[in-house]
Amino acid sequence: MEVTPRAGTVTPAWDELVTLARDEASERQMLERLLDLWRREHGADSAGLYLERAGALQQEVAVGLHLPAAIAETADGALSHGLGSLTFPGGHLLFTPPGAFAATPTSDPVTLLLAAALRSSRLKQDLKEQQFQVNYRVVELEALYDVGLAVASTLDLDRLSEEILMRAVSLLDARRGALYILEDGRYRLDRIFGGEAAPWFAGEDPGLRRFLAGSLTGGGEAPAHLLPGARYLLGVPIEVESGPRGLIAVGDKESRRGVGPFLTSDRRTLSLFANQAALALENARLHLQALEKERLEREMHLAAEIQRQILPKGAPVVPGYELIGWYRPARQVGGDYYDLFRRDDGQVGLVVGDVTGKGMPAALMVSTLHSALRLLLDQTGFVPAMLERLSRHIGESSAANKFITMLVAELSPASGVLHYMNAGHNPGILLHAGGGVEELKPGGVPLGLIPGARYQSSAVTLGRGDLVCIYSDGITEAAAPDEEEFGMERLIGILRAERERPLSAVIEAITSAVGDFSQGLPQGDDQTLVLLRRL
Amino acid sequence: MTESLNITVDRREGLAVIYTEGYINNQGGEEIAKAAYKLLDEGYKVLLLNLAGTKIVNSIGISILIEIIEKMIEIDGKLGFCCLTPTIEKTFHIMGLAQYAPIFPDEATAVAQMRS
Repeated sequence: MEVTPRAGTVTPAWDELVTLARDEASERQMLERLLDLWRREHGADSAGLYLERAGALQQEVAVGLHLPAAIAETADGALSHGLGSLTFPGGHLLFTPPGAFAATPTSDPVTLLLAAALRSSRLKQDLKEQQFQVNYRVVELEALYDVGLAVASTLDLDRLSEEILMRAVSLLDARRGALYILEDGRYRLDRIFGGEAAPWFAGEDPGLRRFLAGSLTGGGEAPAHLLPGARYLLGVPIEVESGPRGLIAVGDKESRRGVGPFLTSDRRTLSLFANQAALALENARLHLQALEKERLEREMHLAAEIQRQILPKGAPVVPGYELIGWYRPARQVGGDYYDLFRRDDGQVGLVVGDVTGKGMPAALMVSTLHSALRLLLDQTGFVPAMLERLSRHIGESSAANKFITMLVAELSPASGVLHYMNAGHNPGILLHAGGGVEELKPGGVPLGLIPGARYQSSAVTLGRGDLVCIYSDGITEAAAPDEEEFGMERLIGILRAERERPLSAVIEAITSAVGDFSQGLPQGDDQTLVLLRRL
Repeated sequence: MTESLNITVDRREGLAVIYTEGYINNQGGEEIAKAAYKLLDEGYKVLLLNLAGTKIVNSIGISILIEIIEKMIEIDGKLGFCCLTPTIEKTFHIMGLAQYAPIFPDEATAVAQMRS
């Protein structure tokens, strides 16, 4: 490039510029030299090029005496600093002393060059800004993608909530934020970033509903205690198909000049995060539900195992008698209980009980009943005092409103005498060989129901062919679709009809009749049968 | 979590490390810039920003970090980052910071490589 040097005192500066251009010096060095050339040509002490950026004049380059790095707002501001000013599109040439420049800009080639350089800097700055914005949109998209991945790959709700709130605060340039989860009809503060937030809101809080339904809003329109002290708030609901699950709120959007209101695009971004949060919350909720179901199933399994251990493996063999027990729970673990056992003195025990409730609590109560009954029978024998102690023990060791109905009987095989005590249980049935029926009626209230309850013992004598049936209410209260109950009369009818058959066949006949009566309805309660026949 | 940023500076032989704790936003970014420019005035031309205590950064904070990088390039200095969370590291790559200021996994590696 051929450049004709200018005459005069600034010729060396032009020479230097040419040399710098040949050496491919940095743009900044070139600009400094050009500005210095201008300064010397116009006898200025200092000169600086300033770009308008973020509401202030920012120094791009300066030469000579010190000039401020940034000056507020306009060229008028520059003048207030005691500076001379030339205004170009997008920026200013500031200098001292203010009277240093006398010519009009269009007549001075160096000034025109500086104006072109300033314009070039402005364009580069704009380009950089745009590139920054494009890159930041990519960061936003990546953040949404990452949160989506996190939602799909983890069920750690704490970590997800924190991730979602941090990303939302960061991407919206907010100063503060909070994430609330809707629980039991109110929004509970789950995560907070910066400052304080209300610990909870009523789900129907009208101010909050208006705020979430509204568009962009200043702090005055939002509930005052959502993010106390925040001047600008933005909030969106976290919703799934079935309804709201929570909300995300952010406060005070930052810029280089301070804080300001959020933009329409910010609401869109926050809504996208809220959608991700909704998925995360729903996934975690379903996961917790599944865990709870699994826990209940494990508990039921364990309770069933306890019950299996307690129920007799078979009936004792008693010469001259036929004895059988049968049990079918309504659920995996029921509240019915039966026992058949032969004591050391040759007496035979028969027990049918019904515990209030189901599941593990009922199984534990049955376990208590089983061990206490055997122990007390050994200690006190078959007397009312035994049942009174048992009732007290059950009352003391079980929750309120929990009790047990029970019919316990003791057979003396040799005499055929059957002593029994009925603690609020369904009457047992004694079907005599001749067809007559006797009921083994209650002689006291259910065990554990009333402190100090008294019981009485009764006895019947079994003749040859007599049949005793002890059962739970799951048999007699089995319901038909029209809600009619199977009832005691039907049970007695079957006993009469099947009395000559083996007891296993009688059991089958009863259960089959109950099933037919219910016409396929699910079994509503546990069913237990104990049958004893004197041969 | 807090929205404010705490800064500590460790001046070493030929290098200074700036430790941050908290949110790198407008205020946090300005704090870092102030500390960095003070170190430049003191003659340090190699700076390391240890962001182990920072989990969150916004666009204003990033723009201020870019200005610091530009300043370092202008004076032929060196600026590096270390101990970034994966999210912040990814953001720095996308925003182009990593192109001009290297990112190191830990402080020891950063110090060794920036001194060489």
